Amino acid sequence: MQPVLKVQSLNKSYTSRQGLFRRRSLQVLRDVSFALAPGQTLAIIGETGSGKSTLAKVLAGADMADSGQILLNGQIVEDAGIRNHDCRTIRLIFQDPTRSLNPGLTIGDMLDDCLQYNTELTEEQRYKKIRITLSRVGLLGEHIDYYPHMFSGGQLQRVALARALILDPKVLVLDEALSSLDPSVRAQTVNLLLELQAATGLAYVLITHHLSLVRHMSDEILVLNRGKVVEYGETECVFNTPKSKTMQKLLSA
Amino acid sequence: MQLLDIKNLTIELRTEDGVIRAVDKVNLSLKEGEVHALVGESGSGKSLIAKAIVGVLNQRWTVTADRMHWRGVDLMRLSSEKRRKLVSQDIAMIYQEPSRSLDPTATIFDQVAESIPDSVLKGGFFGRRKARKEKVRALLHKAGIRDDKKICSSYPHELSEGMCQKIMIAMAIARSPKLLIADEPTTALESTARAQVFRLLKALNQLKNMSILMISHELEEISDWSHAMHVLYCGQMVEAGPTQAIFKQPLHPYTQALVKSLPDFGQGLGHKEAFYALKGTIPPLQHLPIGCRLGPRCPQAQKECVVTPRQSRSHGHSYACHFPLIKVKQKCNPS
Repeated sequence: MQPVLKVQSLNKSYTSRQGLFRRRSLQVLRDVSFALAPGQTLAIIGETGSGKSTLAKVLAGADMADSGQILLNGQIVEDAGIRNHDCRTIRLIFQDPTRSLNPGLTIGDMLDDCLQYNTELTEEQRYKKIRITLSRVGLLGEHIDYYPHMFSGGQLQRVALARALILDPKVLVLDEALSSLDPSVRAQTVNLLLELQAATGLAYVLITHHLSLVRHMSDEILVLNRGKVVEYGETECVFNTPKSKTMQKLLSA
Repeated sequence: MQLLDIKNLTIELRTEDGVIRAVDKVNLSLKEGEVHALVGESGSGKSLIAKAIVGVLNQRWTVTADRMHWRGVDLMRLSSEKRRKLVSQDIAMIYQEPSRSLDPTATIFDQVAESIPDSVLKGGFFGRRKARKEKVRALLHKAGIRDDKKICSSYPHELSEGMCQKIMIAMAIARSPKLLIADEPTTALESTARAQVFRLLKALNQLKNMSILMISHELEEISDWSHAMHVLYCGQMVEAGPTQAIFKQPLHPYTQALVKSLPDFGQGLGHKEAFYALKGTIPPLQHLPIGCRLGPRCPQAQKECVVTPRQSRSHGHSYACHFPLIKVKQKCNPS
């Protein structure tokens, strides 16, 4: 099957000033490549500072890579840091839904903004689309007029999901989106994500440090250490016979 | 010996639309050297209970309890000065979000040194100063911080969250308390730092015989080393008992849902299969249902559930449910 998302030798480094003239560069991603088939989940794990979140940002277009390509359905989306701005189909969900939504906008306005800036739909179509998306994530149509503070944490995560889904993405990047939730809310959210994946063939890039969840949800796993891919393979294989030191350490902790 | 014994602890908040009962008749008892876990979702009143024990809740909250005994002394009847003296001697607490609970304007050395009581230091004026320095170093080492010189001279914002957490632990064990209350000590940490903190707490419990009351919303990480568990839902204690018993045979529908929502314990759950989850969401404090607060979400709620269920006990395993799960099972197969 053709992969929906393909990443080829992604490199990224940050430079920081040190003194007056000296600059230090810190490479956060080194030669990262992977492929993701539709309807599959790729889990990315690693310790703090291993470049997980940077990778998520680069994938979603919030940050640029120095070199390397990102291909979506065989078409180049980003090549050596130049992004094709027509692409809005890789969406990111953040860690804390209570802090990542604008408190001054109603849910309807927020979702409408996404559509207004990215699609050519008329007002009526947009309204319809918002209602459909809300019902897809298990919210009601009347929630359009609600403000974020009127929701509980679990519902807010659904709103964040609706915000990601409204542009019909092919790939969803979940950056620690499940770790801050309570266990029963997390179970509900995971169920919703799995249901959506089964129904529409969405592909997920799951970034988390919750290993049992990784084992349950993901098909493939990518272990990062200091920006380098140290292990990449099917989840069950990696969990049963971890080859890299990083993975062994994570499993024993 | 019973270290902490609480009966019918109720914490209320008076608002314009009436009284909100955030914690409703919670019982809790803790023996010396035991590790207890207080589990529940956010907003279930876990932190409130911890703060009520230490006595740091602010004036708006009214705390009432039939009994709140600390080694035989009723804390509720003490004057606030006496209570503070007693609590500061024997109980220490680690708060949520360590980087926010440390003083941003003081160096780590000053903050740790402040928590050391004068009574443990010996020597004259200059000797004390030296002893204090030594003690700070020893405490930091004990908490698993190797690079003490650098840490001592830095400010909280310069350190990582895991480091701040270790410093909080070092400050908490300065008085070698009998009871350590740890309020979500690992939520901000990633897995390796988390494992370190747990190892440290476990060592303190085993070597110093210190009791620990762990507050957490992650069941799986405390399940293997806590002796007993108390499960809270919306301020009501739904189930309490030995950890093993609770995991093996949960009696309350909510506990069952919690246990089943863990990927590790979901027996025979296939890859990518849906978890067992209760329908609906946690009600906000202003709209709590009457009677059993799980009522509207409970899969086996019946008419009787509008009355608050009484706590029943068997073999040290107590639960508050009109229709505990084990009875349901007996009805299904009479043999």
